[in-house]
Amino acid sequence: MLPNLIVEARVMEENISKNSINNPNNTILSVRNIYKSFAKNQVLKGINLDVSSGEVLAVIGGNGAGKSTLMKIIMCIYQQDIGDIYVEGKKVLNSKPSDAMDLGMYLVPQEPMLFPNMSVEENILIGFNENPKELDKRLMDLLKQIGWKLDLNRKAMSLSIAEQQLVELLRGLLRNAKLLILDEPTSALTFDEVESLFKIISNLKKKNIGIIYITHRLAEVFTIATNVAIMRDGIITLNGQIKDFTREMLVQGLLPTDTGKKEQRFNSKVPDYKNLKPIFSLKNFSGYGFKDVSFDVYPGEILGLAGVVGAGRTELAITIFGKDVVLRGKVYLEEEDITGMSTAQVMEKGISYIPEDRRQDGIFKIGDITMNITCGCLDHLSKFFINSKAEKQITDKSISDLRIKVTGQDQLIGSLSGGNQQKVVIARTLLTHPKLIILDEPTRGIDASARGDVYAIMNKLKEQGFSFLLISSDMEEIIKLSDRAVTMFQGRINHIFNKVDINQNNLMSAAFGAYEGEKEGV
Amino acid sequence: MDFMKKMTKRREFSSIIFLFALYAIVGIVNPAFLKLDNIMLCLNGATVYTICAIGMALVIFTGEIDASIGATLGLSAAVAASMIRDGSSSILALLIAICIGLVIGSINGFGVAVLKIPSIIMTIGVNGIVRGISYVYTGGAWVENVPRHFKEVSQMGMFGLSWFYIGTIVIMILIHFYVTKKRHGRYFQAVGDNEDGAIHIGIPVTATKMISFILCAVCASVASVIFVSRIGFVTPTSGNGYEMKAIAACVIGGISLSGGIGNMIGATFGALIMASISRILVFLGLSSNYDNTITGILLITIVVIDAVIQKCNIEKARRERLAAKTAAVVECELEGGNKTCNRN
Amino acid sequence: MQQKLKKNYKKLKFRWEYFLVLLLIVEVVIFGTLNPRFLKPQVLFGSVNDFISICIIATFMCFVFITGGIDLQAGSIVGLTSIIIGVMWKYVGVNIYLACLIAIIIGCLCGALSGFFIGFTGVQPMVVTLGGSFLYSGLAIAVSNISKTAAYLGISGFPEHFTAFTKKRFFGVVPAQFLIFLALVVIAYIILHRTKYGRKVFLCGINQNAAGFTGINTKLIIMSTYIFSGMAASITGIIMTSYLGSSKSDFGGDLTMPIITAVVLGGTSTLGGKGGVVGSALAAIVIGIMRFGLSMNGMPNQYLDIPVGIMLVIVVAGSCISKNQKISALLHHYINIKN
Repeated sequence: MLPNLIVEARVMEENISKNSINNPNNTILSVRNIYKSFAKNQVLKGINLDVSSGEVLAVIGGNGAGKSTLMKIIMCIYQQDIGDIYVEGKKVLNSKPSDAMDLGMYLVPQEPMLFPNMSVEENILIGFNENPKELDKRLMDLLKQIGWKLDLNRKAMSLSIAEQQLVELLRGLLRNAKLLILDEPTSALTFDEVESLFKIISNLKKKNIGIIYITHRLAEVFTIATNVAIMRDGIITLNGQIKDFTREMLVQGLLPTDTGKKEQRFNSKVPDYKNLKPIFSLKNFSGYGFKDVSFDVYPGEILGLAGVVGAGRTELAITIFGKDVVLRGKVYLEEEDITGMSTAQVMEKGISYIPEDRRQDGIFKIGDITMNITCGCLDHLSKFFINSKAEKQITDKSISDLRIKVTGQDQLIGSLSGGNQQKVVIARTLLTHPKLIILDEPTRGIDASARGDVYAIMNKLKEQGFSFLLISSDMEEIIKLSDRAVTMFQGRINHIFNKVDINQNNLMSAAFGAYEGEKEGV
Repeated sequence: MDFMKKMTKRREFSSIIFLFALYAIVGIVNPAFLKLDNIMLCLNGATVYTICAIGMALVIFTGEIDASIGATLGLSAAVAASMIRDGSSSILALLIAICIGLVIGSINGFGVAVLKIPSIIMTIGVNGIVRGISYVYTGGAWVENVPRHFKEVSQMGMFGLSWFYIGTIVIMILIHFYVTKKRHGRYFQAVGDNEDGAIHIGIPVTATKMISFILCAVCASVASVIFVSRIGFVTPTSGNGYEMKAIAACVIGGISLSGGIGNMIGATFGALIMASISRILVFLGLSSNYDNTITGILLITIVVIDAVIQKCNIEKARRERLAAKTAAVVECELEGGNKTCNRN
Repeated sequence: MQQKLKKNYKKLKFRWEYFLVLLLIVEVVIFGTLNPRFLKPQVLFGSVNDFISICIIATFMCFVFITGGIDLQAGSIVGLTSIIIGVMWKYVGVNIYLACLIAIIIGCLCGALSGFFIGFTGVQPMVVTLGGSFLYSGLAIAVSNISKTAAYLGISGFPEHFTAFTKKRFFGVVPAQFLIFLALVVIAYIILHRTKYGRKVFLCGINQNAAGFTGINTKLIIMSTYIFSGMAASITGIIMTSYLGSSKSDFGGDLTMPIITAVVLGGTSTLGGKGGVVGSALAAIVIGIMRFGLSMNGMPNQYLDIPVGIMLVIVVAGSCISKNQKISALLHHYINIKN
């Protein structure tokens, strides 16, 4: 576990003051009128941005808004079609990534891009053109000043994500970066690690390094940012100092203009707990990443499973689904013991799982819609041969039932938006006639209107008697949809909440292991 | 002791141990095998394979593969042999051979690094083309009557070890040093380890891959001249299958085809093992026809064991990481708005 | 508007196979013009006998490629099959057709061994099948040694009914081998494109993780593709033995490269997930006809790899260039400037 980093403001100054700009409000980066398309897809449609030294500019935007593309253009990984980039007043022309770094910019990627089989030291020092001895000395000085003890000889693959991120940060600092771009830095960090990161950022701020901070999380923006810019569909809809904005204004900036409708309040049926027996039960269920988990799911209910990243929820789900070893305990579906069954068997019995990482585990990217929808129920449609007619029928029905926006059944799923892709995955799940659907971060990376559609679908299914186990890090989602909620902390269930007790405060504190109220519900 | 521990963890260690164990076992069965002049013959016989393996290792480090070195070797050998036969100086023949390697390597590199053609396809295609060109050049005939003085060079050496092999080892050590210690040398394995990461940090990936293909083909060319000196004649199928042998040598020596893992020393031992198998079979009284069978079993065994071990390690690390998260009982206190959590 | 898009898309989907057919027609026209004898049905169809081995194995090896793998051992299995038939029939006294059956089973087992390691332990296909190619060619030599005939002589003297069926010509024109090939193409097509199993093969190839999450037993599916490949190699071994009337351990030794060329030329990507039986079969015929036509026009056998190699590189380069946005943008730019 990474120890809390204690960053001395005084010592950071010594390292960074070497290249600090005398005028603290100097504009480091100016982006003017950037346009970029990939084939027929216009990703950026005229972006203008400024970042000054000592500023933390939060860039918020949903999936597909163009944030990553913009950052890659700034770092000269891609070339813009139209528009200019100025670093400290000078135009940047026809450059390679190494030039961008020489100019003093560094991108800390969302997924750290280290070399797994090389040592930490090699990872930090690679790509420099200086005298190796001097470089080594500078690195030692930097490490001493930051006060971070790390075994430089460890192979990078043995580091945790947080440690890898810090290696990336070191790469940037060693390059005397004037502008650091942090791409969703907290998405894989634990609570302690996030705190440490924020401390580092405030110190960098004080030392006149400009920071672009890309995030989905509005709460973080108000904690750490000085300025904010919201991107949506390739344009910037809001830009300014954070003190001039409220949360609602930011949320408004994120919504597409056609969703003027208010947030739907679902008048959903509350299950009749007193007269129903659970359809799904876990009893002292233990596996890798979770321990002694016990809870029930009732027919027709949505049970929210809340917790922070790394609490063990996904591990729980995939173990139920037969993808990992069961250490102890039992799983019951409709009173039948299904502990330890394989994925195919579990699916047959009636449990479906929608994976967390849609791109990696959920969709068949170069396959068409039909293939993606029918892949779960192939065995039900026919004995040996593929029944094309049946396939077409059920695909058509799914497309219309879930209102998936496609140009045709043979469209490749890779060209659909995130929201529609998720609908396809949901359609596939439904065709296996599940009794319990486990959703893992179902609306991650989906725009607001698609999200609304998914919620409506879930609600409709709930009324038809389906049960859901909703795993989500989005507290609002849990609050909006769940009939009951369970929180997981460090692999254990710590609280079960009734609907009346489900609110932001309770869920948050329970997720962080600090809930002081009543223990159990129902 | 620490040094020993570190050494044993290295992948090439297993191939070194295997080699020694193999020689020891054969020596027990037939002590004549362990005689100095026989060992020297084994080493000398591995020269061509070793040079090919060194070049191939560079390409594999970047995560690619070169299936064309057999044809490169064949063409260079034919050209060099015919030049020497017709009276040119050996140095000139060597230079021309290297030029051939340069051209072929550049073509491979251009296709793979610039046009992004999958390396297996590109090099298979080039292999066919170059093989055909060497047929055109030789007219399908053997190249024979290589002057005796040239053939004798391969016999010259120190304590029975030919200068060729000594030179090969020296160059191998230099290249090994460059690839593992020098800043630009690290680029090869960096590209194979994480190509996106290499682009991100500003490493010139295209140039690195290009250079690796060129060096690989040049190695094959240099090996071809030594081949001519040792064997003394070139047939239209000379060199066929050498790319497979080179790949096998690298893999046996601990280099992974995914890139980024392994080093030259392993490749050298791998090449030595591959080259020794025929001699070993003879000394054990078995027909050398079983050469391929043994190579195949060896390759499969090593690769499968390695994959299984890697898989187990990754799984173990993952489970430890997850278990650590649930192990400790944690007490958290709310103090004036700040949360502090202690571990037992 | 939607209808129009749909139609255009459907056209694109089959473009590659159409391109191959076009290529085939062009070849026939060119070679026919150069040497009219080429166009005689007997000759044209008879050419199949020369390259049938590539065709049959390529047709089934595309299964392997679709899962993202590669198979370097098929050539060796051909030789192993052939010598096993010979040895079993001559020295063990087994009925020739039973020997063929045993040989097919052994071919499947060879494929299964490598397939097992690839599917269940996660080894890289290239290395395991490379090892397999050494192993099986070595075993072929070992089996040949049992027979005590010199390897280069091979075993011969097979019964008339065994060697006759591959030399038969239907309607005096169409060789039996061509019909066997057609039958196998149809079977392979049905298996890959019309059965649940085939769909699962594609799914495993496109995204193995996601396939696992939909309940597909990916390990078994991957292993099975190598069994098909091995089986195809065995069938080829039988046909070769029958046609040439001789059983040699080194049959098929030089087939690996042409087979891979045929599969890739047929539109199957080495990354997996894309491809098809029809493409592979057509590409194999294209390559075979090219070699045959060139040799008919006087090109010595050994030069034949040059045009095939060139064609492979050009076709794949062209496909990579069109997918590579940087280069096509450059080309567009250049073309726009010119205008």
